[in-house]
Amino acid sequence: MLELLVEPWTWGAWMWRGMLAAGLVAVPCAVLGVFLYLRRMSMISDALAHVALPGIVVAFLLSGSVDGPTMVIGAASVGLLASFMIEGLSRRPNVRPDAAIGIVFTVLFAVGIVLLSTLVRDAHIDTDCIVFGNVLAISDLTLQTLAVVAPLTLIAVAVFWRWLAVASFDPTLARSLGIPVTALHYGLMSAVSITTVAGFEAVGAILVIALIIVPAATAHVLTDRLGSMTAVAVAHAVISTVVGMYVSVWLNCSSAGAIVVVGGVLYLVAFLFGRRHGVWSRWMRQHRERGA
Amino acid sequence: MMSVYVARFLEFFRFEYAFTLNALIASVTVGALCGVVGTFLVLRGLSLVGDATGHATLPGVCLGFLVAGSAKVMSVLLAGALLSGFLAAVLVGVLSRGPRARTDASIGVVLSLFFGVGIVLLSYIQNSSTGAQAGLNRFLYGNAAGVDFAQVLWLGGVALVVVALIIVFWRWLVASSFDPVFARSMGVPVRAVHYGLLGALSIAVVISIQAVGVVLVSAMLIIPPSSALFISKRVGRVALFSAAFGVVSGASGAVLSYVFEGVSTGPAMVLVAGAIFTVALLFGPRGGIVTDIVRQRTRRHAAEVSHA
Repeated sequence: MLELLVEPWTWGAWMWRGMLAAGLVAVPCAVLGVFLYLRRMSMISDALAHVALPGIVVAFLLSGSVDGPTMVIGAASVGLLASFMIEGLSRRPNVRPDAAIGIVFTVLFAVGIVLLSTLVRDAHIDTDCIVFGNVLAISDLTLQTLAVVAPLTLIAVAVFWRWLAVASFDPTLARSLGIPVTALHYGLMSAVSITTVAGFEAVGAILVIALIIVPAATAHVLTDRLGSMTAVAVAHAVISTVVGMYVSVWLNCSSAGAIVVVGGVLYLVAFLFGRRHGVWSRWMRQHRERGA
Repeated sequence: MMSVYVARFLEFFRFEYAFTLNALIASVTVGALCGVVGTFLVLRGLSLVGDATGHATLPGVCLGFLVAGSAKVMSVLLAGALLSGFLAAVLVGVLSRGPRARTDASIGVVLSLFFGVGIVLLSYIQNSSTGAQAGLNRFLYGNAAGVDFAQVLWLGGVALVVVALIIVFWRWLVASSFDPVFARSMGVPVRAVHYGLLGALSIAVVISIQAVGVVLVSAMLIIPPSSALFISKRVGRVALFSAAFGVVSGASGAVLSYVFEGVSTGPAMVLVAGAIFTVALLFGPRGGIVTDIVRQRTRRHAAEVSHA
């Protein structure tokens, strides 16, 4: 048993590099995800993750390179543009807010795919890698970018913690207290875009969504306070990263996929057996009340 | 330079190659069916369930592949896709009725969980088999040119049945979309209608994935109805215009992907649908941005004239 746990580490640097990269993506994603969840904006992450693809392609067209910083800046600006467009569209009375998300990201994603297959065919942008990610073959540059982006995101969240908390629970109150709610919103959107892009090579665009939504959803079933919700979300992220990496090594399958599946299973367990709000305990409580 | 594209455009419509005609019919079918089914999704606030269902077909396709042993037995792959897509759509409903649930997060959880399983299976297939998985990648972005005539007949037949069922149950669908409580009091089986719609959604998605791909199929469900909502608010007309926009996007997508080499059908369709939406957003008779400005200006002008 112990051998199974230790052995992958002896096969070379890729195991710890992969785990480090996945963890550096998962933890900031989980923290940002809590605030998105509380604002009922979880699916915005779906949009921002897809939109990172055209961001990278446009950055490549403008600068001719796909280095860490250019990629991050390009994708973050397209991400901001997308969140402006979603905001603007959902203000129109006959556009449904959820449809606005679906319209904006699919069109921008299609633009990215078309550009990729025509203008920048010779660039070394690997669509498979962007969609699926490849934790085990992560480059030095990506690791460095992650090592800068992840702590910066966490520090920013810590600095603006109170503002974010108030604005997420009660935007009207926040505005009356003089908190710049709109600026905070777009700040959060940029943070999500930047984290998404930085995490691209590690876990792929679509699975970043899982790392943002699932920890917060799990934590919300288990806790009632913002602080503990964030703690549980981070714990969920770390556990699913570590367990998922092992599973992927044992089964010889995609690490990103395995991490997400482990995270999803943890969510289902919390959903069914969570002590306070799980289906099972709720049913037991009702049963007992009826009996008494 | 331009003439190359014109030549390829004309070549497409001479239908010398059977696959161009098949691709055209398949894309048009997809556009029409998604336009009609999507209308009810958008009206019920289920737009992103379409997104989840689209992504959720991936594990089904992979399981079908593992059962059939190759990507050639399309029926098994599509049956798997139908099953996992429907399961995902139902699961979204179950999770959003559960403890402390939020619909948007439930959609996200289901989408990522199913897609995660799909990726695990896909990587397992790619690691274990030798080249037989070649057909699987086209499910991601779609390729209408890969559809043969027998499949076109199937797609068309199934789409016709689904549209016929929607017309038969039209009143129930409309009633339960706008006011479920009232509909239930009138004796409409709201729950059954809901699951029926999710079934129609799964079928629409499965029919579309060959032509559009799993990542972008939601666009064809969301964008045409959203454009049609700028034209009318009567459900019948919205559905009609939505189907028409879907047909136009589908057809132009098939043509464009033939004319411009390397462009997949799915993204091309979505770009055309997006262009139609932009026009509707600006000039739509009901709530278009430019329309509203012009209307306000004429009203102000009329007021000034009547004052003078």
